[in-house]
Amino acid sequence: MSQDLRPAPADTAAAPETAAPDATGLTAAQIKRMKRFDNPWFNPKLIWGAGLLLGIVALGILGRLFWDTDLVFTGAGMPRQGPVGVENIRGQVGTWAHPLGTDVSGKDILALLIVGAPNTLYVGVLASLIGMSIGIFLGFSAGFIGGRTDDVIRVGSDVMITIPPLLILVVVQAAFGDITLTLMAMLIACFVWQSPTRLIRAQVLSMRESGYVQMARLSGASTGHIMFREMLPNLVPYLFGSFIANVTTSIVTAVGLEVLGLGPQRVPTLGRVIYDAINSGALIQNLWWWWGAPTILLAVMFIGLLLINLGLDEVSNPRLRRL
Amino acid sequence: MALVKVENLSRVFDVSKPWLNRVIERRPKAFLKAVSDVDFQITERSTYALVGESGSGKSTIGRMLVGLLSPTDGTVEIEGVDLARESDAAKVDAVRADIQMIFQDPYASLNPRWRVRDIIAEPVTARGGDATGLAERLLEQVGLSALDAGKFPHEFSGGQRQRICIARALASEPKLIVCDEPTSALDVSVQAQVLNLMSDLKDDLGLTYLLISHDLTVVQHMADRIGVLYLGRLVEEADPDTLFETPKHPYTQMLLEAAPRMDGFGREVTPPEGEIPNPIDPPSGCAFHPRCPLATELCRNERPALRQLGATRVACHFAE
Repeated sequence: MSQDLRPAPADTAAAPETAAPDATGLTAAQIKRMKRFDNPWFNPKLIWGAGLLLGIVALGILGRLFWDTDLVFTGAGMPRQGPVGVENIRGQVGTWAHPLGTDVSGKDILALLIVGAPNTLYVGVLASLIGMSIGIFLGFSAGFIGGRTDDVIRVGSDVMITIPPLLILVVVQAAFGDITLTLMAMLIACFVWQSPTRLIRAQVLSMRESGYVQMARLSGASTGHIMFREMLPNLVPYLFGSFIANVTTSIVTAVGLEVLGLGPQRVPTLGRVIYDAINSGALIQNLWWWWGAPTILLAVMFIGLLLINLGLDEVSNPRLRRL
Repeated sequence: MALVKVENLSRVFDVSKPWLNRVIERRPKAFLKAVSDVDFQITERSTYALVGESGSGKSTIGRMLVGLLSPTDGTVEIEGVDLARESDAAKVDAVRADIQMIFQDPYASLNPRWRVRDIIAEPVTARGGDATGLAERLLEQVGLSALDAGKFPHEFSGGQRQRICIARALASEPKLIVCDEPTSALDVSVQAQVLNLMSDLKDDLGLTYLLISHDLTVVQHMADRIGVLYLGRLVEEADPDTLFETPKHPYTQMLLEAAPRMDGFGREVTPPEGEIPNPIDPPSGCAFHPRCPLATELCRNERPALRQLGATRVACHFAE
């Protein structure tokens, strides 16, 4: 895909002696840069998006190494302390002991973010992974087998897509009481398999009639060979895109539940921090750092995911690329 | 000796609406008869061409021949084996390896994520054979470079891709290749190259072709025998010279009349009358009677059988 979009001078520059500007006025360094950016997987949106998400992962890993995560417990510090240099209503100025301040019970906000952000991301990624696996399996079955199987899967996913997940999950979680992160991810996964199923079914249906799949069938290739060697590689960009979109949906759902107080009770998550803040009147007490910090982190996470999705769009749809 | 024997071949497609719609709208099931009672034989090392308008069932016949579709009625025997009914798996597999296909659209028939080497070797590797160096040899045979084996399909033009398709079709050393409009997606200049390559390969390797086309000039140059299809029925069959000199069936006459001719600049062409009827609800008797200038009561009531008339087989009550 990338090669036919490569500007012509890049080919002439393959010879090693073109250090000086050649006929087209491009220097070797410029050509090298063009070649590097020519790979669609290295587009700036994808790099920035992945960078933001990796930043959050790094916050989780490095934070555990360099910051004391025991500070998430109640009474770890003075309550209601502001971030560094910010004065709270009692006239106390924030110190480096708690750079992002503390909440109403003295929990360190930075420690909460360090533990909570990876937890939120974990729920999103796990739910999306499970959802994608179900979607790939059902989508391939529907598209490949067809007939009654297709009818059942198609109608099933169409019906499921109309049900608002938060409504069901609120009821289910309220019945479950305290749950673990993994269980919550699995519950959310029940609501994110529909769109990959539909997407893959549509792609498989159109690919099944294409010449190369017909050829493979003529050559006596097995069903598994056709599915995984012939079809799946062509689906990779779609699968990536769908996966990232699902991570976003899953995180939104998870945070929504946590903010309602229906998430895990013993593990800090970003949504849970916001829930506590709302519940303890942080808005009215002007403890903006308490709800502000996790909100900003969530916003960064969503912007990162959005950029990755836009970047992946560019990979799978060459018409969006700009040279 | 006949390599392929097709007898009373029919194929019906169920094109009914979903069950719920049928119940609510009170419609019966709908069936489309794409191919109806077709007989022909293909001699070894010859080219048999099927021509006809869109929807005349030529591609359906091709797909039944290679075994991608099973016939509703009738038989296709290749080397004396009926693929749809033979129960001995070893026999079926042996015959299947002798059949290959070339598709119309060279852009859709090569997997964009595979290297040319793997694409060409697939008919061999899928059966567990060893394909070292096979792709390189075949690429040179079809006029490409052995170095192309490491490239991806998008690096080639349409004509080059069709050459790759031909190389792939040759990989399992088949006897019969079904070519489903192999040149209709290509430029005229490239068409000639591909057709020349195909006829050279036929002479060198002793291949048999079933050529499906709607292009009469292509067929005239390539075929040893031509079958004209109308609405899933074989209406006339003859060798090219006979067919183009003295077409017997009124439909064939109409087709040849409508085809552009080099010596015909400025001549008045009477456009073909009427359209191909709906195959879900075909006309009674001879399918061509609504458009036929010779049609009588007999044509409306009785379907003409294919009969021998000199060097031609023709299905018309009034052909002579």
